[in-house]
Amino acid sequence: MSLPCIIIGASHAAVQLSFNLRQQGWQHDIIIIGNESHMPYQKPPLSKSIMSQQKSLEEILLKKDEFYQDANIRLMLNTNVTEIDRSTKTIKLANGEVLAYSKLALCTGAIANKISLSDKPLLGVHYLRTAEDAAKIQNQLTHAKNAVIIGGGFIGLELAAAFNQRGVHVTILEAQENILQRVVTSEVAQFISSLHQQHGVEIKNCCIAKRLTGDSYVSAVVCESGESIPADLIIIGIGITPVTTLATKANLDVDNGILINQFAVTSDPNIVAAGDCCSYFHSIYQRNVRVESIQNALDQAKSAAASIMGKEIDFSHNIPRFWSDQYDIKLQMCGLIDGYDNVEVINPQDYGQLSVLYRKDNKLIAAVIINNPLMMKQAISAIANQEAFIH
Amino acid sequence: MSNNVWQCITCGFIYSENEGLPEEGIPSGTKWLDVPDDWCCPDCGMDKSDFEMLLINE
Ligand SMILES: Cc1cc2nc3c(=O)[nH]c(=O)nc-3n(C[C@H](O)[C@H](O)[C@H](O)COP(=O)(O)OP(=O)(O)OC[C@H]3O[C@@H](n4cnc5c(N)ncnc54)[C@H](O)[C@@H]3O)c2cc1C
Repeated sequence: MSLPCIIIGASHAAVQLSFNLRQQGWQHDIIIIGNESHMPYQKPPLSKSIMSQQKSLEEILLKKDEFYQDANIRLMLNTNVTEIDRSTKTIKLANGEVLAYSKLALCTGAIANKISLSDKPLLGVHYLRTAEDAAKIQNQLTHAKNAVIIGGGFIGLELAAAFNQRGVHVTILEAQENILQRVVTSEVAQFISSLHQQHGVEIKNCCIAKRLTGDSYVSAVVCESGESIPADLIIIGIGITPVTTLATKANLDVDNGILINQFAVTSDPNIVAAGDCCSYFHSIYQRNVRVESIQNALDQAKSAAASIMGKEIDFSHNIPRFWSDQYDIKLQMCGLIDGYDNVEVINPQDYGQLSVLYRKDNKLIAAVIINNPLMMKQAISAIANQEAFIH
Repeated sequence: MSNNVWQCITCGFIYSENEGLPEEGIPSGTKWLDVPDDWCCPDCGMDKSDFEMLLINE
């Protein structure tokens, strides 16, 4: 009997990998094992259309049940994988069951970074990474008046927009001088800050949350400055950590993520990996990167499936891409913003558009583009072709 | 001649019929209608039906 391909993690990377594998003619069983209870769903809407109540969880499933059945892909949900034994090519589940594989794929993603700001756990304090997290936030939103979002990253900002649209007063606390400091530059941060401020969201930069107060429910955030901000809903959005425990325990190479080559293969030729849990050497930027985006998860999953089938698809030159929706704007990013020696800001007359182009040695290396998808397309090809992108 | 250009409503990805997506096996000049129905957006994974058309005259 031929052994299955087992995929650990049941989200964007895993689902893409499994269907690609079938399309490419994998004849044996495919088992996806995930520790969440829901059918695999899209994560981006959790901070967008789910929070603004435009969509339900049913509407954001990655695939309907029958697609898995038709493709003969078995989903084991609510199941945690606790161990990989590479010598016997087996994995162990939390209930002790052992499953053998011929090929293994790690799509374990990432988890939200946690901080503890109170002696005892307080109700009303949330992180957002999963549908379960989103449901808890939703429940509380119906009676929330003052939300404080700790961390001005994309997820925090998208939530701020959604809460604001639902009539909740929002304050964003950002420890750095500007929101989004880890990912973009001040030109973009200022544009996004004023967008939020125009809607009535308060942004406090250089503001570090020190402590949460309250009895059973949170009632306020106390900042390092001593200021106390009343709050009945707190979101902590301070980045994510790749889930690499299984890989580390199995002695696979790990460096800020499970290390994969340009074909998404780990240091064990029988194990591939894809998505937020991975790091790799980017052939254009010439350094190790870990990208947190859907495009990255999909590209790596396609390469991983090809590798399992004995083919080679090199994803390592693909330009990282990401999008974010806030109010009525669509922000798109491509490339990696570091090491640039020139910044060009294009701010056309018509309200609501902004493009910021980052160049190095007269070649475009990254761009942030608001409300102009056609320019985004041009920027991606310019980066790929190592052009300056004069428009 | 006009080039039909399609945009993914979810993530903003652009499909241009003139260019196709050779890296995904869709040759340049492929009309939107001829893009396979099971094709998904490379940036967000949404289905073909989640695109809408932008018409750009060149
Ligand atoms: C709220 C939100 C908004 C986002 N918005 C955007 C956006 O607009 N654009 C964009 O490009 N990206 C966005 N992202 C990022 C995007 O969702 C991620 O890049 C993507 O989910 C990565 O997919 P993945 O399959 O690698 O990992 P994940 O989606 O993290 O999935 C990994 C899965 O593996 C499971 N798992 C881990 N360990 C085990 C184990 N031992 N046993 C069983 N199961 C396990 C986890 O529980 C999880 O379900 C957003 C993310 C969030 C949370």
